[in-house]
Amino acid sequence: MNAPDRYERFVVPEGTKKVSYERDTKIINAASFTIEREDHTVGNILRMQLHRDENVLFAGYKLPHPLQYKIIVRIHTASQSSPMQAYNQAINDLDKELDTLKSAFEAELAMHSRDY
Amino acid sequence: MEGMSYQRFPKVKIRELKDDYAKFELRDTDSSVANALRRVMIAEVPTVAIDLVEIEVNSSVLNDEFIAHRLGLIPLTSDNAMSMRFSRDCDACDGDGQCEYCSVEFHLNAKCRTDQTLDVTSKDLISADHRVTPVDFGDPAAYDSGDQQRGIIIVKLRRGQELRLRAIARKGIGKDHAKWSPAATVTFMYEPEIHINEEMMGNLTLEEKKAWVESSPTRVFDIDPNTGQVVVVDREAYTYDDEVLKKAEAMGKPGLVEIYAKEDSFIFTVESTGAIKASQLVLNAIEVLKQKLDAVRLSEDTVEADDQFGELGAHMRGG
Repeated sequence: MNAPDRYERFVVPEGTKKVSYERDTKIINAASFTIEREDHTVGNILRMQLHRDENVLFAGYKLPHPLQYKIIVRIHTASQSSPMQAYNQAINDLDKELDTLKSAFEAELAMHSRDY
Repeated sequence: MEGMSYQRFPKVKIRELKDDYAKFELRDTDSSVANALRRVMIAEVPTVAIDLVEIEVNSSVLNDEFIAHRLGLIPLTSDNAMSMRFSRDCDACDGDGQCEYCSVEFHLNAKCRTDQTLDVTSKDLISADHRVTPVDFGDPAAYDSGDQQRGIIIVKLRRGQELRLRAIARKGIGKDHAKWSPAATVTFMYEPEIHINEEMMGNLTLEEKKAWVESSPTRVFDIDPNTGQVVVVDREAYTYDDEVLKKAEAMGKPGLVEIYAKEDSFIFTVESTGAIKASQLVLNAIEVLKQKLDAVRLSEDTVEADDQFGELGAHMRGG
């Protein structure tokens, strides 16, 4: 009937940016990143990784509505850093963490198949 | 502060590994990563499943869409799904999915000619690509020993009934439809840390100890028959039900035992549908999560647009 198509949940519509950035008008070093077609999977790992950064004063994400397939990540940093820098840093660190995880899992897998 | 890294170095230990089952420990990371992995395994690791069915003849008792739905739910071997294309962004075809990059064709042709009921199973599905076939759950031992029924039953036919169809399998993810999910179950639990206050425990009578040990719905504790001491036999059997803590309180011995959930230590249980191996499911999930992170990186023009703004920002910050 009038249900949205299932692919709406993960296909970024043409002409829409995956990530858009908006500076806060009142607070220096605060900004919101709107990420299209993502959910708690990415939102929560980003938030938790941002919390590890000492220059980040605030980091949070929200899923505004279950039928609006986007998340908003808000970051407020100290003056030494910037939201964009913190955001990039968080992604890079998570990416490296997953590389470590992957090789750790592969090493274990090799060990395990040898024991078989 | 440029170049500062807050990266973690997670550790993995595999405890048990079978084709469709894996149990492993994940340490030195936090619950957000563990949960992201779980979510990705369930909903975002791609597999191949039947998506389009053209029925030529169907005189079975099940209607066309019922059969089409059942066909969709049959797990297909999807080892090459990661390198396949989604039919919606396949350039080689018009997206109706009949090319080698994004789809696999199946045929099914069955007619019952005897008085005995004919079981149409996933074994009757003939694939055009040997890499994508219905998964084989059969126990090889049972197969050798007799005429055991194998494969997944699609429909049963009586004399004279016929089913003839063509099906197209496509790559997809569980977020789109659960038939594409390679995961049967994926769970993780926090590793518990159990501290028994030996001094308080030593002051209990054997009866009291027994009553306390019995209060746990799962067998976490036991009494050593030789020393009469309460020991932890299986801390992972603890379901965070708090029953032993309540019991200790009721006995007037609060603090008899302390139980914490370690916040950086997880025990994963992964069961696969058979579409891909459990170990591959974990590896693919890591890869998919990496791709997702890569997709949310800021694009060049966003950074540029902000750089122009940045000069003003520098003024605002006081240079």
